[in-house]
Amino acid sequence: MNNMHNLSTVIQFEITRTLKKKSFWIMALLFPLMLAGIFGIIFFSNKATADAAKEMEKQKFSIIYMDEANKINPGMASALGATRVTDKQAGIDNVQSGTVDSFFYYPDSLNTSQIEVYGKEVGIFDNGRYGGVAKVLLEQSAASTVDANTRAVLQKTVSYNTTIYKEGQVYDGFKQLIAPGVFLVLFYILIAMFSNQMLTSTTEEKENRVIEMILTTIEAKTLIVGKIISLMMLSIIQMLLILLPSILGYILFHDKLSLPIIDLSSIPLDPSRIFIGFLIFALSYSLFTGLLVMIGAATPTAKEAGSFFGVIMMLIFGPLYAAPLFISAPHSPLVQFLSYFPLTAPIPLLLRNAVGNLTTIEAWISIAILAVTAAGVIKVAVQVFRYGALEYSRRLSLKEIFGAK
Amino acid sequence: MKFGDTTVIDGLSFDVKRGETFGLLGSNGSGKTTTIRALLGIYKVSGGQLHINRRAYRVDSGIRLGYLPEERGLYKKETVIDIMTYFGRLKGMEATRAREESMSYLRRVQLNDKATTRLDKLSGGQQQKVQLGITILNDPELLILDEPTKGFDPVNRRLLMNIIEEHQQKGATVVFVTHQMEEVERLCDRIILLKNGKAVAYGTVSEVRKQHDDNNLDDIFVKLYGDENNE
Repeated sequence: MNNMHNLSTVIQFEITRTLKKKSFWIMALLFPLMLAGIFGIIFFSNKATADAAKEMEKQKFSIIYMDEANKINPGMASALGATRVTDKQAGIDNVQSGTVDSFFYYPDSLNTSQIEVYGKEVGIFDNGRYGGVAKVLLEQSAASTVDANTRAVLQKTVSYNTTIYKEGQVYDGFKQLIAPGVFLVLFYILIAMFSNQMLTSTTEEKENRVIEMILTTIEAKTLIVGKIISLMMLSIIQMLLILLPSILGYILFHDKLSLPIIDLSSIPLDPSRIFIGFLIFALSYSLFTGLLVMIGAATPTAKEAGSFFGVIMMLIFGPLYAAPLFISAPHSPLVQFLSYFPLTAPIPLLLRNAVGNLTTIEAWISIAILAVTAAGVIKVAVQVFRYGALEYSRRLSLKEIFGAK
Repeated sequence: MKFGDTTVIDGLSFDVKRGETFGLLGSNGSGKTTTIRALLGIYKVSGGQLHINRRAYRVDSGIRLGYLPEERGLYKKETVIDIMTYFGRLKGMEATRAREESMSYLRRVQLNDKATTRLDKLSGGQQQKVQLGITILNDPELLILDEPTKGFDPVNRRLLMNIIEEHQQKGATVVFVTHQMEEVERLCDRIILLKNGKAVAYGTVSEVRKQHDDNNLDDIFVKLYGDENNE
């Protein structure tokens, strides 16, 4: 009862004081603001490109062309105001002297020779218009000589509709990975945003010399568990601060940003994969929170704790480099090792669960390994905090940590 | 108790009676602070235990303990009232009562206008007052004060002495770690003197004086520890 009271007091204190910090809100709102900024840039960039394209369409420039391959449709060339010539060097000279704006040279063999485009300088970006028109003129001329179906194939406008069956049911692999894949994204974002806070959450007590008063008031376990729970609750708050503005932004602006329409009702929900994804996420998050808190407790200052930060991040996110293997060769020894070794397991397990190649047996074995490791790490974190508490100026050795009973 | 291969407390045992003020004395490095930390479970001990009312002490055993450690510090970036309320709640008080008692103490030490100020914006002396306030929150029945006057200015030293006397009058047991002999003579009923982690004198102040054929604790102290300074 007393421990519960103290646990809730620690959680309340830790959450309240974090929420009062300006730095928390700056970091919390930075991500949605960055997203808004990126979408804003995309929106204005799309608009500017479209405006520029319209502007270019309006611009007229004089064209002469030489067609040794006889592939240009004279009617189309004429519609563009292009005049056919027969002397290549004269064409080049005309552009060079400024008599005409552009000259396109289509050689006899389009397979082995290059199409040459000459133009009058009109600015680094607008100079591209000559090549664009030469290309369109050739493509449309070629397309006009074949039937509509062949044209569609050549112009790559043929669309395909693939239906895959799994156990007699229509199966959409991409949509299937959305729901369980959410946990992978959440894990990535939360670890990236909160890991530093986890690392420094216990160094404060040491650096401020408040540790003795704390340890004679509550149990070390209560403080550490309270800190871990409060970090998780802050993560949920952080998650909501990311998701809510993103969802709101999508609802309000998806038309203007040309974002695809997501029909939520069409996303398949596989309860078993979602549950496994949640368990892997929660245990992995507990494991790494415990690990970072333990490092913080074992080192005298936040600065020194930071030197271990890179190692932990490498263990968590290093497996991302092998991501293609998790999908294409899930039973290879490397993937199996990365999936079962608890410190590298979160990314492979969450990704494999999302794409659906994590078998039930593999899932439950790895969940058991993660659970035991997370509990062990949290226990050691308490031990380290308890007996390393008064080590203000030196780091605890592994012998001291594991020798403490 | 050992640090590595070095024994720092060796076969030490003493009683503190309910309601008395007990002095734990010794020179620097004699093992006073280590003894207190070991008793309170802050250090891992190879053997021995603190018993209060014949029950082994644990941090969650329900004893109202007020501990002022030698190494002092609090959460620097929180407000005074938030820190005091937090510790009050950890000592088992309801939030409202913890807040009220904290405010009452702050009024007494004329820091009520600093209640919502961050601790690191206070002067050193003001921070000492806050730490002392936290030590006596929830009306402790056992007060353990490790070098309580260390670093205190004369105003805070007088405040501390008044607070100790108030708690003595209320019947609290006070354990006082110091090497300030005038404080011992003024406040302590019984004392123990430590040297190299062992007791070299133990009893009432007058008994210890008699044991050493001397009337003055200062002289006894010099006699017992003078050789350390000559080494």
